[in-house]
Amino acid sequence: MAELTRRDFMRVSGTALAGASIATMLDARQAPAQNRGTTLRMITWSHFVPAYDQWFDKFAREWGEKNGVKVLVDHIPNLELPARYAAEFAAGAGHDLIHFAAQILTGHYYKNLVDMGDVAEPLGKKYGGWMEAATSPAQVNGAWYAVPDYFVPIPVLWRKDLLDQANLATPDTWDKLRIAARTLKAKGHPTGMQFSHCNDANHNWRAVLYCFGARETDPSGQYIILDSKETRETLRFAKALYDEGMTPEVFSWDDASDNRYLASGVACWIHDAISAYRTTQDTNPEVYKSTYVLPEAAGPAGERKNVGEPTVFAIWKFGKNPVAAKELITYLADHQVEAMTASRGFNMPFLRAQYKKPMPVIGEDPKLSPMQDIEKITAFAGYPGPMSPPAQEVVTTFVIPDMFTRVARGQNIDETVKWGVGEIRRIYAKYKAA
Amino acid sequence: MAQLSARGERDRSAALAIEVARRAAATPWWRRVAVRRYLFGYTLLAPAVLFVLVLVGLPFLFSLYLAMSDASVGDPVARFVGLENFRAALQSSAFWSSLRNTVVFTVGAAICKALLGTTLAFLLMQPFRGKKVVRALIVMPFTIPIAVSALGWKWMFDSQFSVINWALSRLHLIGEFGTAGWPVWLGQPGLALGSVMFVNVWRSFPFGAIVLMAGLTSVPPEVIDAAKVDGANFLQRFRKVIVPMIAPILFVGGLFDTVFTLSDLSIVYLLTNGGPDGATEILPTLAYQVGIKAGALGRGAAISLFLFPLLLPAMILLLRNLRRREW
Repeated sequence: MAELTRRDFMRVSGTALAGASIATMLDARQAPAQNRGTTLRMITWSHFVPAYDQWFDKFAREWGEKNGVKVLVDHIPNLELPARYAAEFAAGAGHDLIHFAAQILTGHYYKNLVDMGDVAEPLGKKYGGWMEAATSPAQVNGAWYAVPDYFVPIPVLWRKDLLDQANLATPDTWDKLRIAARTLKAKGHPTGMQFSHCNDANHNWRAVLYCFGARETDPSGQYIILDSKETRETLRFAKALYDEGMTPEVFSWDDASDNRYLASGVACWIHDAISAYRTTQDTNPEVYKSTYVLPEAAGPAGERKNVGEPTVFAIWKFGKNPVAAKELITYLADHQVEAMTASRGFNMPFLRAQYKKPMPVIGEDPKLSPMQDIEKITAFAGYPGPMSPPAQEVVTTFVIPDMFTRVARGQNIDETVKWGVGEIRRIYAKYKAA
Repeated sequence: MAQLSARGERDRSAALAIEVARRAAATPWWRRVAVRRYLFGYTLLAPAVLFVLVLVGLPFLFSLYLAMSDASVGDPVARFVGLENFRAALQSSAFWSSLRNTVVFTVGAAICKALLGTTLAFLLMQPFRGKKVVRALIVMPFTIPIAVSALGWKWMFDSQFSVINWALSRLHLIGEFGTAGWPVWLGQPGLALGSVMFVNVWRSFPFGAIVLMAGLTSVPPEVIDAAKVDGANFLQRFRKVIVPMIAPILFVGGLFDTVFTLSDLSIVYLLTNGGPDGATEILPTLAYQVGIKAGALGRGAAISLFLFPLLLPAMILLLRNLRRREW
């Protein structure tokens, strides 16, 4: 038996004591005395629903007042977060609690992030477990380096009045959506999904790919399996959808263009977050009345996969107040009902028990109520693999949307698949070599 | 007597020379006049050199280090990989299309800015009522924050609500919305690249005009008058008299503009983010996407360093030309 030195004993017992204290404190929902008089600096994105930011700031401030912690929350645009985190990491100083949104960088920084198992595991146990997709942005090699906060689903928003006039049924499959677009484009109501370099393009075309049974990688995230007949079938479908049901403006769209397309009354359907539904509610009540929401359309084999946008919390190892940060994360997870309400149903929880019907906001609106089952069909970029650094690079360099753009513009499908798979393989190979 | 006087003069000179040599030998080297003059000069120059070394030299060396390593945003320990990152960039089709776009963007915008800037400068040199107001208005694109002006243009190029398209459509110069004759400025590859170039030109050509106007005011009017008397027309006066006289100013202005255009990330980033299908992707946006957003610092640095060989020959040519003219 190895000899236990006094130093080893002190280290092991100290760690165990600290771990037990945090676990006890989290379990008892009481802030430890050591939190009192401290400051917690956190950074998060500027939410698409400004009212949510206001609610969150107040929520965090009140929690801080109750626990003797001065909470300072910084909001910056999501596109600026990666540069901000790179700067904080390089400087070895910055916010005590960070929030990955749009760019999930858990895989990049995990060696420098605090293990969050002591927060994520108890939360999972308390709320009936995490939904299947939750581990993708939050775990690395099976360990929690981030705690999932909420995700933003990207459902189908469709105009019931227009489809009814054309005697078309509820568009619950991609083929029905294509027929609706073809029929209604002739009547001045085409559809549109971004064939451009924006977040929505990454979500939308991945959703179609996954619904058609195509996959980017194997579950380990190590092997590229995109070169498949399902991928070719998806590209063929996208070409037909574009030719029959869209106009060339989709090549220039940004993330807000489809919101405006729906709100203007032109679109027969779009594939976007419910922010588009809310925009229409505020700007065009007539169109809003007949806009319905479908969690996702089914592919040829009946598969539905909705590609959402996850957000997760993480803590730098150099963060000065990890105890308070963990406490705030747990407290927020316990108040997801209020968070959902404040976000007008935009935020969806990761914890299974929080899908108890009726859910706040979406459970009260019959048109949104189908969204209460979204957790069963949610996937994230890289599916079925994790949101690893190479998967993120494939997202940031827009390889998947560019494949669809090329085919929509008339390029040969086989050549496009060869190009896209080649680019993705090149990206993954770099990380393997490193 | 005269001989004696001459000899005495020689002796005095020799003695003086010996004294000077003795004193010179006795003076420490750092107190000698020549050394003190150089020392003084270099002391005055030192802050500028230090500034360049710290703010330009060190970041450049650091980016070279990054480009030859597998550094990532989350890993402080980087491994030396030689030229692997450059090789990886050269293997990527996105890199080649970005390089092509960068050259087209820079050269095309430079030509447009030169033409428009020159025309504007000459127009503003003419006497007319409200000249000061017009001058102030003309520099506005240059003074408005880029984020604000790019968002304004994004609206004007919007596929559905473009004020340009609606105006052209009302004038029956293009088709109706929803028809093939409706241009999608940021969605068609050629138009998209043209649009981002247009915004760059719109924003920067007042700067060119101001530089040119500053040069034109330094040309003595009598030289122009003399050329007129000799029968030189406007183009001849411009080419043979004005341009040679203001060439140093033009070169410096051109150099600045080339550097700014080549490294301009914001317009493309805000208008198209490099899309559609990489049609407007330029090296700075690609480097940002790979290096910062995707976190592959080494590869991002390698991509951005490809700007260096593009800029270096242009800078050397311009500066050599400038120095030759100084003599």
